[in-house]
Amino acid sequence: MIQKPRSFRPHAARWTHVALAGLVLAGCRDVQKQPAVAGPNDVGGTLVATQPAEPGTLLPPLISTSIERQITDLLYDRLADIGDDLNTVGDRGFKKQLAAGWEWAPDSLSIVFHIDPRARWHDGVPVRASDVRYSVALMKDPALGSPGLPLITNIDSVAVRDSLTAVAYFKRHTPEQFYDLVYQVSIVPEHILHNTPAAQLKTADVARHGVGSGRFRLSKWEPGKRIELLADTANYRGRPKLDRIVYVPTPDFNSAVTRFFAGDADFFEQLRPEHIAKIASDTARRAITYPNLGYAYLALNNVDAKQPGQPHPIFSDRAVRRALTMAVDRRAMLKNVFGTYGMPLYGPFPHALPVADTTLPQLPYDTVRARALLDSAGWLVGPDGVRSRNGQRLEFGITTPVSSAARKQYAVLLQDAFKRVGAAARIDEMDNAAFTSKNTDRGFDTSIELYQTDPSPSGFKQSWSTSGLGKDGSNFASYSNPAVDALLDSATLTFDPSRTRAYARRAFEMIMEDAPGIWLYEPPTVAGVHKRIHTTAMRADGYWSGMADWWIPAAERTARDRIGLRPAP
Amino acid sequence: MRRYVAGRLLQATIVVLLVTTLTFVLVHLAPGDPITALLDKPGVTEEVRQQWRASLGLDRPVGEQYLRWVSNTMRGDLGYSIKYRRPVADVIADALPRTLLLVGLALTLSFALGIIVAVLQAERPGGARDRWLGRVFLVLYSVPDFWLALVVLLVFAYRLPILPSGGIVEPVTHDFLPLAERILDRLQHLVLPVGTLTLLATAAISRHQRSALLEVMPSDWMRTAIAKGLSRRRAVRRHALRNALLPSITLAGLYLPALVTGALLIEKVFSWPGMGLLAADAIPSSDYLLITAVVLVTSIAVAIGALVADLATALADPRIRVD
Repeated sequence: MIQKPRSFRPHAARWTHVALAGLVLAGCRDVQKQPAVAGPNDVGGTLVATQPAEPGTLLPPLISTSIERQITDLLYDRLADIGDDLNTVGDRGFKKQLAAGWEWAPDSLSIVFHIDPRARWHDGVPVRASDVRYSVALMKDPALGSPGLPLITNIDSVAVRDSLTAVAYFKRHTPEQFYDLVYQVSIVPEHILHNTPAAQLKTADVARHGVGSGRFRLSKWEPGKRIELLADTANYRGRPKLDRIVYVPTPDFNSAVTRFFAGDADFFEQLRPEHIAKIASDTARRAITYPNLGYAYLALNNVDAKQPGQPHPIFSDRAVRRALTMAVDRRAMLKNVFGTYGMPLYGPFPHALPVADTTLPQLPYDTVRARALLDSAGWLVGPDGVRSRNGQRLEFGITTPVSSAARKQYAVLLQDAFKRVGAAARIDEMDNAAFTSKNTDRGFDTSIELYQTDPSPSGFKQSWSTSGLGKDGSNFASYSNPAVDALLDSATLTFDPSRTRAYARRAFEMIMEDAPGIWLYEPPTVAGVHKRIHTTAMRADGYWSGMADWWIPAAERTARDRIGLRPAP
Repeated sequence: MRRYVAGRLLQATIVVLLVTTLTFVLVHLAPGDPITALLDKPGVTEEVRQQWRASLGLDRPVGEQYLRWVSNTMRGDLGYSIKYRRPVADVIADALPRTLLLVGLALTLSFALGIIVAVLQAERPGGARDRWLGRVFLVLYSVPDFWLALVVLLVFAYRLPILPSGGIVEPVTHDFLPLAERILDRLQHLVLPVGTLTLLATAAISRHQRSALLEVMPSDWMRTAIAKGLSRRRAVRRHALRNALLPSITLAGLYLPALVTGALLIEKVFSWPGMGLLAADAIPSSDYLLITAVVLVTSIAVAIGALVADLATALADPRIRVD
């Protein structure tokens, strides 16, 4: 419903609050009991989200940051979207988007997708099968340099049978071939992009236009100020319940928090424990914990940072890795850093994944056993309290990025824990660029990694199998175990989800026994949201997946909710 | 005078060239590179990163990249920002006017306020007013800028929510407001960052100006003016101030570059997307060309500021000859 806009005096109104001494906190506002579902009149309203950065591009095959993914996910549709259980095997649970249906070929090497005839690009042009062909070809074009290119190598090509029928061909029949295509490839408009050569798209202005087929369309992007998405009211999947989403870049964390608590923003995706305690007494805002696929661990580098290719003088020894793991009281550290909001990490996986198993046996916190293990491995305590073996001191660095408060705290706690068993750790804090560079080159002794995996079990091959050892992989600990490699291969090649879980479970168990990392925590992802915003279930791979169905009851709207869909003059 | 100005401009050109060359080399020597920082996500292969480097010319030797940068810059092309994925000139063109507005307003207010405070203090040196103003501005002179900014933000945007917490305008409603309210909205967003910057700069300016005033107070001509019956207040305002303005003119020249460089921490705290914030964003992203362009603009501003300060001082004080 489009309402006549009122005259707004957003902050002028606040001046009156000064005169009304005592009625000063923005929190003292209307908060009603939340209805469970949106009513017919609950369409409309504005969500203002504060974000630490703004996107560089709005072209899905070129995105690389979280904010770019978030906004492009709202602007562009895929053929189908992953289900809430994040199953990646076959097509079970996938929800239709641009594809109104699909059929597998008998040999499973091709899938026919029927494009929803109602689907339109935001400029009104119908979505066609040729757009699917173009999207895949563009992403596979080496000249584009899509960061997602390595994820779709199994897709051979897409052919157009007719304007609404696209046939995707695959090189091999794999459990995740459907997922590879529909999850990794967002469909982009050929008629807008085809005039720009792929090699020029990185720097072309058209990559910032954001013309997609999603339920929101790009209304305005003022660099440094805001990005405004408006509801696509004629969308084939239905109009979103919100009228608009406005992203406001706020680079400073404290300023972003103040912006949220002052009422200038409705949503802030990353509250810290101190703010969560504060929000409990806030009448206008609430905290929402949402799942994510991140996990933090201390990578114990198996190769020598100074002599690449050579085993690390300390961490190539399994006994040392296990002993150091047992020296760490992970639960106490979790409580120390995150209070009651910490989420323990049970192994090399976030618990939200279908293959996760939180019942796997853990190496216990036991400093007596840790010391005994080091003694038996020949690491004896020297006069200064630091152990050594054959002239090699048990002395190493803990690399951590200076930008992460939690990881810096962990570094100090780990240093202290290691000291108690006779290991001398020094903390190497560095800026993000240097940290990334060290990671890529494996140029560290130990490093506190915060790794964001994807829903697919094949993501674990990158992180923990021999194939992930090089610069292309994410096996930061340079861990290699042929048995684990075989299990992870089996996990990604079976078509039976229960067997996938069984293989992955055994692989995780072996990794945990070998202790190439110390499993620290899952980052607690707690968002702050204004109470008038009613959210839906949030998926671990992106809390924004259901944002088009977030809603604001008509009775709870504020001035900025009542603008309607009228474009700014 | 012309020869002097021409000489100074030549010197400035050499300084700018040296500074930007040094910056260009240093940012390239620093660990990490913009592509590694940009494509730091699982699954991205080194081949893809290398493709990006090649397509943006970052795989070429530093010397070659530098020569290309110089050649392009001479033609007005500052290159491409990898972080913002836009031409550097466009990114700076967006940020520069915002900083000019913020810092220009703050400096104008600071000099006006700083001189007034100094005059008020100098009228009765050692008196209660002088002591109290001195204490207040000494505190302001001493506090870190980011700390003051955060306190101001918490007090006026959160505890007493009477002013917006950041940004240039209200992000949703601004465009829908009538003209007068749009102007009011813009002014309200200026209050906190401009106020904070003004307080900080006023503290420095007033201290310098007060010292200069106290230096000229014992002069014979001041004694004569007072002996002729002029009140101390009028003597300070009419005679001492004019003769004591030189430090403020010098300070104005030194502050001039801030008009284009911005106030990094203030801009960050108040989410003011100006040049300071641009620099703060460009450095961790190793955005080579953006960093170099910001340094280029800054060094030009510093050179011009110094020149303007010297010329203004010479104009104000006939004892100084610039040639």
